[in-house]
Amino acid sequence: MNETLEELSLLETLDHLLDRGVVVAGEAVVSIGDVDLLYLGLNIVLANVDAVKRTSKR
Amino acid sequence: MKSVVIGAHLRRDDIEGADAIPAGELFLSALPVADDQPLGDRELLLRVARTRAALLDRATFIAIRYGLTVSSESEAKTKCAAHLEHWRALLERHRDDVEMTLKVVAPERVARPDRREFTSGAEYLRALHAATNAVDVDAEFRTAAEQAIGMGRWLHRDQASLELAALVARDAVERVRAAGEELKRRFPGVPFLLSGPWPLEVFADAHSE
Repeated sequence: MNETLEELSLLETLDHLLDRGVVVAGEAVVSIGDVDLLYLGLNIVLANVDAVKRTSKR
Repeated sequence: MKSVVIGAHLRRDDIEGADAIPAGELFLSALPVADDQPLGDRELLLRVARTRAALLDRATFIAIRYGLTVSSESEAKTKCAAHLEHWRALLERHRDDVEMTLKVVAPERVARPDRREFTSGAEYLRALHAATNAVDVDAEFRTAAEQAIGMGRWLHRDQASLELAALVARDAVERVRAAGEELKRRFPGVPFLLSGPWPLEVFADAHSE
């Protein structure tokens, strides 16, 4: 249970880091041209929702 | 050497554990990294995330989306110039507030449009936007969530969840967490995650105002 909560907390933290806050003059889009990072962002969103479901069932 | 910007702060002494780059009357927190350091590096992401959390413990700041890098003080000021006045007003107004987020998993995931079925990128983007905005949660839960964490902004993030972001006074964070636990007991069938405190993210983003 603790591991799941830690995983969820980390996913949520990274989700906020990558997908929240002010975008300064499109800089984030330009700088994160790194395709791997974009995929990482997408996986975080999906994993995050699944993790919320898992913890809610316990 | 370049610097990865984390946020904008009202006072220099709000920043510890990161560089403080002056930008007008504000200060940007930033971590120095090598020019060839990929921003997608896992260790760098985790270091920025840890620093961000520690900075929020000291004082509320404007979160800047990960990915902004600067190489000098003048570049920092130039890139942020259009925002500085607005940020200062927000920071003065919300010095004692933080954001909290309630992410709700929708009962049904809306199917993501298939790119191959569209003849133009614009059509596809419109369909993607429509699919994201089609996600909804129970009206009774919505009302209860607003009562628990406060009236905020509902945001469509993806095809599977909705988020309520609210401004919460720092000294009310524990009360809101307790209200979240009560919400969980009242709606055991609704998967949701109450998280925070976070810096000013949604409420600093002009696009969601």
